[in-house]
Amino acid sequence: MKPIPEPAVLEATRARAAANMLKFDTLLVANRGEIAVRILRTVQSLGLKGAVVYHAADRNAPAVRMADHAVEITGATPVAAYLDGKQILAAAKSCGAGAIHPGYGFLSENAGFARAVAEAGLTFVGPTPEQIELMGDKVRARAFVAGGGFPVAPSAIEDDDPATFAERALKVPFPLLIKPAAGGGGKGMRIVREPAQLKAELERARSEGQRYFGDGRLYVERYIENPRHIEVQVLGDAHGNVVHLFERECSVQRRFQKIVEETPSPALDPELRSRICETAAGIARKAGYRNAGTVEFIFGAGGEFYFLEMNTRLQVEHPVTEMITGKDLVLEQLRVAAGEKLGYAQEQLRSEGHSIEFRIYAEDPARGYTPTTGPVLALRPPQGEGVRVDSGIVQGQDVTAAFDPMLAKLIVWGRDRGAAIARADKALAEYALLGCITNTAFLRRLLNHKAFVEGQVHTGFLDAHPEIAAEPALDPATLHQLLAAGALVTRPMRDVADLVPDMHAAIGSWSN
Amino acid sequence: MHHAFKLGDAEHNLELSRSADGYRLHLAGITVPVNLHREDDGSALLTVDGRSERVLIATRGDDVFVHLGGVAYALRYEHPLQRLAAQGQGSAEDHVRAPMPGSLVAVHVKPGQAVARGEALLVMESMKMETTIAAPRDGVVEAVHFAQGQTFDRDALLLSLEAAAGEGKK
Repeated sequence: MKPIPEPAVLEATRARAAANMLKFDTLLVANRGEIAVRILRTVQSLGLKGAVVYHAADRNAPAVRMADHAVEITGATPVAAYLDGKQILAAAKSCGAGAIHPGYGFLSENAGFARAVAEAGLTFVGPTPEQIELMGDKVRARAFVAGGGFPVAPSAIEDDDPATFAERALKVPFPLLIKPAAGGGGKGMRIVREPAQLKAELERARSEGQRYFGDGRLYVERYIENPRHIEVQVLGDAHGNVVHLFERECSVQRRFQKIVEETPSPALDPELRSRICETAAGIARKAGYRNAGTVEFIFGAGGEFYFLEMNTRLQVEHPVTEMITGKDLVLEQLRVAAGEKLGYAQEQLRSEGHSIEFRIYAEDPARGYTPTTGPVLALRPPQGEGVRVDSGIVQGQDVTAAFDPMLAKLIVWGRDRGAAIARADKALAEYALLGCITNTAFLRRLLNHKAFVEGQVHTGFLDAHPEIAAEPALDPATLHQLLAAGALVTRPMRDVADLVPDMHAAIGSWSN
Repeated sequence: MHHAFKLGDAEHNLELSRSADGYRLHLAGITVPVNLHREDDGSALLTVDGRSERVLIATRGDDVFVHLGGVAYALRYEHPLQRLAAQGQGSAEDHVRAPMPGSLVAVHVKPGQAVARGEALLVMESMKMETTIAAPRDGVVEAVHFAQGQTFDRDALLLSLEAAAGEGKK
């Protein structure tokens, strides 16, 4: 495994920081949980000071303990506090921070916040506000990408010319997906496999759109059966240099949220891999993109892929890219934000081995993945070679319903995919968290599933295999072990047992 | 003695007694020799039927959490008295509980208000989805225990209905 970051890059940046050549000596993290810890680690490794904002609900969180300054913020709800740009800017001022890192979620893709940070004279660790706006508008982003000659799913949009819509829709390759223009959440969507059915299905979709959204306008696009989600990490500096750091496959999802991410994707051969990665870099280059970013694609069984969207921030799953490239993506973000050049070309980037990330969620897969809560009574994360845990929790903390249920991430590296899977299985078994139900046992069932082992997954994989989420029946031996453990630590039971004189016990008589 | 543990939705009756060199676990129809040795590192060595395995155990009140064989389990000790009391208690339909942890988005009713079965009482949010909580029966709202915007855990008591009137009052 490569060291992260490369020692030479770390030393050089540390020296520049010490000589006051970065634009800031203190950086405020406008986030919480594992990502706040992750960012602080790199900031502090550079000899810079790391500050963090926190809501009272996070008072005992590890990021707050780790930070050089921690500033409390308030809000109508804990989440609202982390979305309050004004308070966060005031917090940055109060601790002398010269830069703000937004992490992911919250304000990370809010152009207004990026602008306000710049106007306050601080460095925003992210892209320009204009780049956030472009990629945040899905219709504009799609047109921008298509305009550059990059692949977007073939489609027909009613609004472009309502009179010819049905005619244009017929020219899109079947099967088609009809979507309400005003829709969301899968409502009113219809799959059409036969051209003869298109007219009737358009009418049905229109009336559903009218009923759900009060808007009957539609668009159709090519429907990809059992698609994979493949995304590419890109990195651009303020001097026009853009590279990609290879792909990540994130096809294992529940409710459109990723659970497992890996790189390289088992679906790509070297030729396809370089084509999809070059496409992503091309899109970022056309946008003059500055910062770490991710270009997401939908990938069909025939090897076709289409642009989905671009995320203009650090991703949850960035560690797998770090594991195979040796690049510290937060360090790269800080260097770019400080105006430095990337300083390396595409050819110098190499991918080595295989890395998989597992999101540890406070949720019960057997109950429809509903969130769980509870105190963290005992916490023993796995350790060892090729095992990395990015965690936002400590023993003694409470897991509440106030935030997203992701508690931590387990990231493994192996020489190849099989080695990475074996390492993950052992690490997940060792990952002990008591007091709050998590998905670790489910993740082990998932990674031992034949389809996952063979790399045959798609975004509907978990829906197609509900047996992975279901709680397996307890075998009698395990049940006896659990009841024995329970009885032996429960005072009323032990007291009653200990009351029986030893002599009787020695004789071994027992009556109910 | 009527000891029991709840594991998932199943209830298991059991007894514990001493033996010469440890304990015996009495389950329906069988008796198994058991013992537990606490180790210095906080883990424990659990021996059941002559087979020993390292486990991690944590307790909180009547909840027992066990990490065993790479899987975390949760058990709850059922107090003999509480089990007895539960059998004689009023209708569970008087208490509207949270089906999952979340926050309250809207409160549609006030204390004293009459509601019909199936009527929307509360709207909660969890996992970025809204769920409407409906009245389990006809009745009168006694109290709403959370305000809009507040968060709660699974099974939290969200709303109480006044105890159902006797059959004769209909």
